Amino acid sequence: MTVSSVLVVGGGIAGVSTVAELRKNGFVGELTLLSADAVPYDRPPLSKDYLAGARDLESIALQPAEWYADQRVSLVGDTVAVAMRPDAGEVELADGQVLTADRIVLATGGRAVLPAIAQVRRDVPAALPTGKRRERPVVSPIHVLREVSDADRLRTSLVPGARLLIVGGGLIGAEVASTARGLGVEVVLVDPLAPPLAAAVGIEVATWLHGLHADHGVEALTTTVETLLESPTGIAAQLKGEPDSREFDAVLLAVGLVPEAGLAEAAGLETSRGILVDADQTTSHPSVLAVGDCSRLRDHHRAEHWEAAQLDGARAAATILGSPPPPATAPWWWSDRYGLHVEGVGEMRSPDAEHQTVVRGVVGEPPFAVFTLRGERLLGAVAVDDANAAKAARRLIDRAADVRASDLADPTQSLRTLLRR
Amino acid sequence: MDTGNSTGIRVASVDDIPEGEGIAISSDITGTEDDIAILRDDDGTCWALNDTCTHETASLAEGWVEDGDVECPLHSSRFNLKTGKVDGLPATRDTVPHRVEVRDGEVYLFPNERP
Ligand SMILES: Cc1cc2nc3c(=O)[nH]c(=O)nc-3n(C[C@H](O)[C@H](O)[C@H](O)COP(=O)(O)OP(=O)(O)OC[C@H]3O[C@@H](n4cnc5c(N)ncnc54)[C@H](O)[C@@H]3O)c2cc1C
Ligand code: FES
Repeated sequence: MTVSSVLVVGGGIAGVSTVAELRKNGFVGELTLLSADAVPYDRPPLSKDYLAGARDLESIALQPAEWYADQRVSLVGDTVAVAMRPDAGEVELADGQVLTADRIVLATGGRAVLPAIAQVRRDVPAALPTGKRRERPVVSPIHVLREVSDADRLRTSLVPGARLLIVGGGLIGAEVASTARGLGVEVVLVDPLAPPLAAAVGIEVATWLHGLHADHGVEALTTTVETLLESPTGIAAQLKGEPDSREFDAVLLAVGLVPEAGLAEAAGLETSRGILVDADQTTSHPSVLAVGDCSRLRDHHRAEHWEAAQLDGARAAATILGSPPPPATAPWWWSDRYGLHVEGVGEMRSPDAEHQTVVRGVVGEPPFAVFTLRGERLLGAVAVDDANAAKAARRLIDRAADVRASDLADPTQSLRTLLRR
Repeated sequence: MDTGNSTGIRVASVDDIPEGEGIAISSDITGTEDDIAILRDDDGTCWALNDTCTHETASLAEGWVEDGDVECPLHSSRFNLKTGKVDGLPATRDTVPHRVEVRDGEVYLFPNERP
């Protein structure tokens, strides 16, 4: 059966990429994009330039406002889906309206994990039982960061001299620490791991990256938060191992993501830490696909990075069109802190009998890059202020090229020439 | 550096730009609003685009040049070397191409002329 209508639920990068790729590759049918926001916007700036106040909502839009009409995409903004009936191809909106389509693509992303710290209660509006559950901490100076409204709210706390506690030293926590320091905020960052991100970037780079916090005046502590209590002057945080609690004006909880799988779950689709999908993005229901942070490829971890969500959209579009999927490529992500641009490609492993770590340049003196090699095969790379090392690494991985550690390690040897061999 | 639109502005020797890479020419020299990136494709041909990525602030001269495109160093949007057309988010706006000519191993730039 040819597909004549597609409804995409969720206007993040995965949803927007799905509609863009469908049109670009010749889909002529009806295309509807349901977005919880008026106009879909991009999330990475929410912890960086947007949070710093250097960018406005219009400049972080995923597409210019006129794009939707140009591409004949009906953008249904400012509304959420509350139920899905896949056998009928139906999606019900919060206002009771029902939309139908031959294919439904779920692109609902995720929401911030709310850790079980006292006083962090869950605020679940009863009107949205299975759709978008806008869970928010109810104590007002406690923040999460996933949406533009979160960033707007957090920004009002980031005034010079304000005391901010960041719980979680992963990519988002670290980026906010950097942005907040730039705004003159006093920052304490806690994480139980010393250092965080070792699995993603390797222990050596993780240690150096985490050390940047102290270099920039952030108090980075290896501990956890036991309680967060409202106090007359803000929030009193009891950190594990400290005799007294500390006072903060604001707290950011940046401890991870829960995939937004409620619609799928309630409709009886297979879910387990995300909506389960096959490599072509199809779910357990034949007319429903899922893309981006809300989905999980069976037997894999969720990627939770921007480009992975974008590529999911491209794959879903190919599946719907019955065309070949875009070529497989090693996963890639970026992050920025303290003016440094960090990129990761593929997978990093600790050195052992099989895996070797190779450093190009000097760790801690950007530009530099660190590689994981297995025999003569490159598995992963992390590059700081060296985008072209990451791009070369990605191509070397994708082509399963033979590489020598000595060539990677030699900064005078252009990595591009390794690709020409 | 000589100026003048009929002969173009001599901006570099081809050999100064490795294949697959680029250099940025300051707007002081080009007289354009933005700096201009001279980009050398992996087949050796030279092209010119506005240097600042239309997404954020990356310099496309520091990008990865391959198969008729330059890939932005920050978030990997791709721009066609000849037309400036963007292919792939996060950038959504095309950039401006400029004409270049290579004579006797020297690169001449014709700002604001179409390639
Ligand atoms: C602050 C921050 C910074 C980041 N920085 C980087 C970075 O530097 N590099 C990187 O690689 N990645 C980064 N990421 C990760 C990246 O942004 C995500 O992986 C990406 O946004 C996932 O896209 P998505 O479309 O799957 O989900 P989302 O972007 O979450 O979009 C899902 C959309 O669906 C909507 N929605 C949910 N339920 C419903 C419903 N029932 N009805 C209608 N709409 C619904 C949501 O409101 C949301 O707009 C960052 C993420 C955040 C939050
Ligand atoms: S700055 Fe070029 S893609 Fe973002």
